Amino acid sequence: MSYHCPVCKKISNKSALDLARHMIGRGDKVHRDWINSKGFKYSELLALQFSSFGGEGFKSLAEVLEKEAKVKD
Amino acid sequence: MKKELKLKVNGQPYELFVKPKTLLVEVLRDLVGLTGTKRGCSSSSCGACTVMLNGMSVKSCSVLALQANGAEVVTVEGLAKGNELSPLQRAFLDHGSYQCGFCTPGMLMSTTALLTENPKPTKLEIKEGIDGNICRCTGYNSIVRAVTAVVKGEYKEAK
Amino acid sequence: MSDYSVIGKRVHNIDGTEKVTGSAKYTFDVVLPNMLYGKVLRSPHPHAKILKIDTRRAKRLVGVKAVVTGKDTLGRKHGIWRRFPELCDEEILCRAKARYIGDAVAAVAAIDEDTAEEALDLIEVEYEPLPAVFDPMDAIKEGAPQIHEGVELNINVNRHIEWGDVDEAFEKCDYIREDKFKCSSQAHVCMETHDAVASFGYNGKLEVWTSTQSSYYIQRLYADMLDMNESDIRVINRHTGGGFGSKFELDSAQFCAAILSQKLCQPVKIVLTREEEFTATKRRTPMYYFLKLGAKKDGTMLAKEVRVITEGGAYTAMGATALYLTGFFSSFPYKYPNYRYDGYRAYTNTAPTSAMRGFGAPQSTFVGESQIDMMAEDLGIDPVEIRRKNGMTPDYEVPGQAFIQSCGLHQCLDKIDEHLKKRGKLPPNHGIGIASYGFMSGGIFNWFNTPYAFSAAVVRINIDGKVDVYTGACDIGQGSNTTLAMICAEELGVRLEDIRVFSGDTGICPPDLGAWGSRQTLMSGNAVKRAAAECKQQLLEFAGAKMGVNIVYDLDIKDRWVHLVDRPERGVSYFDIVKGAIRGKDGNAIMGRGYYTPHRKGMISPAYSFGVQAAEVAVDVETGRYKLLNVTTAHESGTVINPVGIEGQLEGAIMMAGGYGFCEDQPMDDGKILNPSIADYKLIRSLDMPETEILEIDTYEPEGPFGAKEAGEGLTNPTAGAIGNAIYKAVGVRINDLPITPEKVLKALKEKEKQ
Repeated sequence: MSYHCPVCKKISNKSALDLARHMIGRGDKVHRDWINSKGFKYSELLALQFSSFGGEGFKSLAEVLEKEAKVKD
Repeated sequence: MKKELKLKVNGQPYELFVKPKTLLVEVLRDLVGLTGTKRGCSSSSCGACTVMLNGMSVKSCSVLALQANGAEVVTVEGLAKGNELSPLQRAFLDHGSYQCGFCTPGMLMSTTALLTENPKPTKLEIKEGIDGNICRCTGYNSIVRAVTAVVKGEYKEAK
Repeated sequence: MSDYSVIGKRVHNIDGTEKVTGSAKYTFDVVLPNMLYGKVLRSPHPHAKILKIDTRRAKRLVGVKAVVTGKDTLGRKHGIWRRFPELCDEEILCRAKARYIGDAVAAVAAIDEDTAEEALDLIEVEYEPLPAVFDPMDAIKEGAPQIHEGVELNINVNRHIEWGDVDEAFEKCDYIREDKFKCSSQAHVCMETHDAVASFGYNGKLEVWTSTQSSYYIQRLYADMLDMNESDIRVINRHTGGGFGSKFELDSAQFCAAILSQKLCQPVKIVLTREEEFTATKRRTPMYYFLKLGAKKDGTMLAKEVRVITEGGAYTAMGATALYLTGFFSSFPYKYPNYRYDGYRAYTNTAPTSAMRGFGAPQSTFVGESQIDMMAEDLGIDPVEIRRKNGMTPDYEVPGQAFIQSCGLHQCLDKIDEHLKKRGKLPPNHGIGIASYGFMSGGIFNWFNTPYAFSAAVVRINIDGKVDVYTGACDIGQGSNTTLAMICAEELGVRLEDIRVFSGDTGICPPDLGAWGSRQTLMSGNAVKRAAAECKQQLLEFAGAKMGVNIVYDLDIKDRWVHLVDRPERGVSYFDIVKGAIRGKDGNAIMGRGYYTPHRKGMISPAYSFGVQAAEVAVDVETGRYKLLNVTTAHESGTVINPVGIEGQLEGAIMMAGGYGFCEDQPMDDGKILNPSIADYKLIRSLDMPETEILEIDTYEPEGPFGAKEAGEGLTNPTAGAIGNAIYKAVGVRINDLPITPEKVLKALKEKEKQ
């Protein structure tokens, strides 16, 4: 089981959360645009992650990635 | 508007013409060509430009060259006798009392002046003697150790 | 292991006599024929559009030879994170917009400094001031002024590190603490300010003498900015008056001198003033820290969560690396099974923040070591004990991040424990605080995108047996040339005085990433050792043939004596072997090449050093003033190559890191640094310097040359934390923001009294 970034070559063998961390972390235009196209606001996810403990900003994106980026090897 | 300046640097007489605003450090570095004396702040706060003027340590960035008219100046280049290093220079080497070396000429001049004035300073007096000199590398303690070793007579004057 | 003949000996630095006689030549001292002097005009506004620059009056001034603005550049932007184009964001000579007070907008070359200075006043710049933002917490708010186009919420970089299941682990904890901290900025205050002499020839080639930590970086960045081949650029680093992290990015002195020289084909020298050094070069990254730490009743720490926002200033510089490293070193030197880090770097309209000795780790160590002491007190556990319980051990893997081979943390804790017990009961208002730390021996990351090995060296043996070492490493005062010479002498079996080092000159030395991240002893050291070994091999091949020994015998060289390992008395003079070997090679000098690039060593560093520091303070409760009495450090850095050098690094680090905890700060008013002079910027002078004691612990690092590892920056990490803990031990107040000034201590004491 692995998670493939929808816009670049990154593959995470760990979890959707790990891929979410990659996408928000990379944060360039293509990644931002994809995140925004899923109804999120990139800057809000970042702010959420920053304003509280618990990684909330990543978790909501990870839920989407769980459905859309999972690939069975 | 330039004026005549006569001074001795490390025993050598010089006759120069300088502007009234020219600083002693500029004369030493740019006109006499002794670049051992450094310049770290130009506001007499760091001590890198320390030289001896008539036996006293001064910060040469805060002395107008014309104020040194007729004076005897000693710079770091004047410490060694021929190819023999001075006791303080040898002590600095042994104790690792320098790293980047940019403050070292000033440190050597401050401590040389200190020992000229007070050959047996206490540790506190040594620390006071270099309190006007900043060293960003060594943390000063190795410099204090070097001076202490000279005070204890571990380094003999070169003949 | 003590049968070394050079390593571990107390020696003079190989450039020591030059430095104590004033004959060492710094860029500051370089004068070339036909040379001009340059000055840089800087923005007085923290954030402003540049509408128009009129240089006509300045150009007419007698003695002025050239005036340049951003229009005279190719308009490119540079940065150290070359793999990420969006992080290469600094033009140096701004074209459209100035982003901090001190951003360069124009530069002048004239026959002397006075004329250049006068010309600056004649340049007319029309600005349109823009709203500005100075605090990272404000910069990331919706509606804050946007400093770089397209960067939402001014978030420049964000870094995330995670292992284990942090949320689940917190549920299993008996005790959880959440704390906030603020870490201040700090100026490097190199005694030699940034300077450069650039000489562009009619042949289209550029030669630059400059005070730098990485000649190779400067060469490459020049090539990017001037659109030149890097081989047409020679960067020469002679003696350098300190670096501490401030001198490995292309700076305004270097860039402007080159642009001016390119226009005139005359050498141009630019030396930054002390005020420019404070306001217009990089500085330590201020950080807001939010920490959550969970432990079992017995002190076993199960989880840590860290959130950081850093004040980036106007450009990325090396600040992105500081953001990463502060996140990684927040887990140091403990075994957290579960860990999460979220770090953000926000652009602000302040002087850019970047690398400074310790590189994010002094901040993480101050906050982490403060919090662990609080946790120990809450749980009723001794501070040494809680560190023993959780401290890293040899052959530990930081999950998914790093492999730690040698680690002497526990021996260091034992030594410091002994020291504390020896000090016994202290007088009233005295306290000793401790802090543990670790640091890397060079970074593995290659954000700069070098195609070359991380370190490389060439060793050449001449006919008289004397040895030349060519290395791209930069000696900035830390004594790396001496350390590399010692490594070469030991490997080759000659004496230190047989070695001459040529370093930091891109015209003759192989590329090396330079002096940052405490990398040169291990990385450049390995390269030199390999190059020397290659030379030695050539000598031994010849010696074996000449001596006609049975092939089952091993040969070696020690103290200029080529001999049988098992029968050291059977041998030949090294000098004779060299002469013969060169003759046998048809007159070719003996040459060896070596390089080092780390592989399979995790993502951070090939090796880590560790230590524990104890700081003793005496607090005057009437005024809040306190005195640093003693700083004792138990420290391990693998095999000690140059003991005098390590003592110097240690004491010097205490001056700098003590200053970070004690007094150094850069207060600002609307982006203007209020203390841009050495008189106003308080740093530790000789009278404030505490007694220092060093307790060296023996370890051996398999990855390092002769077992050596980092000994320069790690020592900067613990002091602020140890001071904070000492103040608490002394008078029971905890200061969570740096520096710990008398005012803050007094205020806290008064508040404590009220309760």
